[in-house]
Amino acid sequence: MSTQKTYEPKPYSNPYLVGVGLGLVLLAAFLIMGRGLGASGAASTLVAVGIEKVAPEHAANNNFYKEYLGDGTTNPLKDWLVFEVLGVIVGGFLSGTFAHRINFTTEKGPNVTNKQRLIYAFIGGTIMGIGAKLARGCTSGLALTGGAVLSLGGWLFMLAVFAGAYAVAYFIRRQWL
Amino acid sequence: MKNLFEKLTIAQKLALVAFVLGFIALLIGNPNNSNKITINAKELSLSTIKDHDKINVMTLADWIIKEKGDYTLVDLRSEKEFNEYNIPTSINIPIESLLNSDLMRNQKIIVYGIDDVTSAQAWFILKSANYKAVYILNGGLNAWKNEILFPKLDVNATEEQKAEFEKVKQISLHFGGSPQIISGGTATVVNQEIKAPTTPKISAPVSTGKPAAKKKKEGC
Amino acid sequence: MMPYYKFDYFGFDFSLVIAFVIGIGFGFALERGGFGNARILAAQFYFTNMRVLKVMFSAIVTAMIGLFYFAWIGWLDLSLIYIGDTYLVPQIVGGFILGVGFTIGGYCPGTSFVSASTGRKDGIVFILGILFGIFVFGEIFPLIEDFYYSTNLGRATLPDALGLPYGMVVFLVVLMAIGAFALAGWGEKVMSKKNWSRC
Repeated sequence: MSTQKTYEPKPYSNPYLVGVGLGLVLLAAFLIMGRGLGASGAASTLVAVGIEKVAPEHAANNNFYKEYLGDGTTNPLKDWLVFEVLGVIVGGFLSGTFAHRINFTTEKGPNVTNKQRLIYAFIGGTIMGIGAKLARGCTSGLALTGGAVLSLGGWLFMLAVFAGAYAVAYFIRRQWL
Repeated sequence: MKNLFEKLTIAQKLALVAFVLGFIALLIGNPNNSNKITINAKELSLSTIKDHDKINVMTLADWIIKEKGDYTLVDLRSEKEFNEYNIPTSINIPIESLLNSDLMRNQKIIVYGIDDVTSAQAWFILKSANYKAVYILNGGLNAWKNEILFPKLDVNATEEQKAEFEKVKQISLHFGGSPQIISGGTATVVNQEIKAPTTPKISAPVSTGKPAAKKKKEGC
Repeated sequence: MMPYYKFDYFGFDFSLVIAFVIGIGFGFALERGGFGNARILAAQFYFTNMRVLKVMFSAIVTAMIGLFYFAWIGWLDLSLIYIGDTYLVPQIVGGFILGVGFTIGGYCPGTSFVSASTGRKDGIVFILGILFGIFVFGEIFPLIEDFYYSTNLGRATLPDALGLPYGMVVFLVVLMAIGAFALAGWGEKVMSKKNWSRC
């Protein structure tokens, strides 16, 4: 390691320029595909496929899983959002590599241990999974995409997200500050 | 002016551009050209000659039996009527929600209503919205009932007609209909019409229930 | 005419290639924005770093204006852009729950994928949490199915709901975004004086 030249991670880009870039990616999705971006849908497909593998009958009796399994004519993993999320992983990795920001570490506030942070992350992820499915979308699919197409549900959802996030921010400030 | 613009930070420049574009949008108001109809009237009128844009019920029945899948059959009636009876393989899109449907511009679309009136309206709506291949089921559901489900043959029919009827009978039975042979005379025919068996409850293998549920949703 | 896919310029299989390419752009932009880092995302909720708001709103404004002008020129059929149905109460409740999860977990689904791909362990754990959450939701789904499908308003949009022309809503959103950016800049200054750790 010591012989290798170590690079300092570059600072993150101007948020407004990033925003315009992200907006253009979103616009491209609209113009080419007629649909926006998403993320949680891919996770749902993954879960539904997993349940089907373990307990096919259970999945078949559940309308929620069924929706992500399709009609059985095509492999449910052959899905637009699944491929998009694969791209997200690659894209994030590329950007991180160019900016020397790949780091096998845990992001946390100064006052919590790594273990505490990971427990928080798991609990937060679980809550978010439930919330995203109840709302039929996440920050990418509903707030960002819905926001750009001026969807009523998208904008109300976005306000609700910020409300929920700020509502609990005070109580768990120890984790982050 | 140019110097002034250059003095701004990137954020301020972007904000300015967004403001100007937003303001012009305010003046434009509605971006939707798609609600305005731009049609080639000549092309439309030409396409009505020779009934190019009509499909006979017999042809359709043949396609359904052969499981030809290159078309989308659209029932324009209300959901309630659709659930009572529909032609197999059809999907229900009430005419008022036609433009909000998932139909693709390049699909071969066959529309039908109870008779030709609704389908003619739908045909025009779709054509004006740039749908390429729209066809009308000639005679609508009435024709389907008369010719496919409950075909009639006069007892005094010629041999030729009878032979023809045998073929129709097979098709009719396939769709759960009941072919009838009637003894001539207007009065009896009318009588028969009244006594005509109730429409069989055929549920199409693909269509009834929630057709949308089959398709994976596009959202997140 | 755009959108190309809806006019059948290419088939389903090729759409997956496009999905992958667009995903790369999406992931790249998210990482550039700093969204692979939970501390930056969470800082949004303590007003110390408003990148989330800045990136998100400028992306929405960009795409929204783009859609508007493409439709106006006549290259795009706006009615073919997929807009999910609005389910008023479930979406507001779900959004609130998601917001709570956002502050606790530090990511949202899209950003957690970026975080995981750049090596953050908390991002990987967060994804496992999401999968578990979706599983929980799937299991309780039969119980809440009625609520899930309640208050369906169909393909509702802001111009319809407010009764305003599309262009006016676009302008209002731009104004709101610029106002929010100004407030964000001011808020960051105030809060950094409070000596909370900046990230």
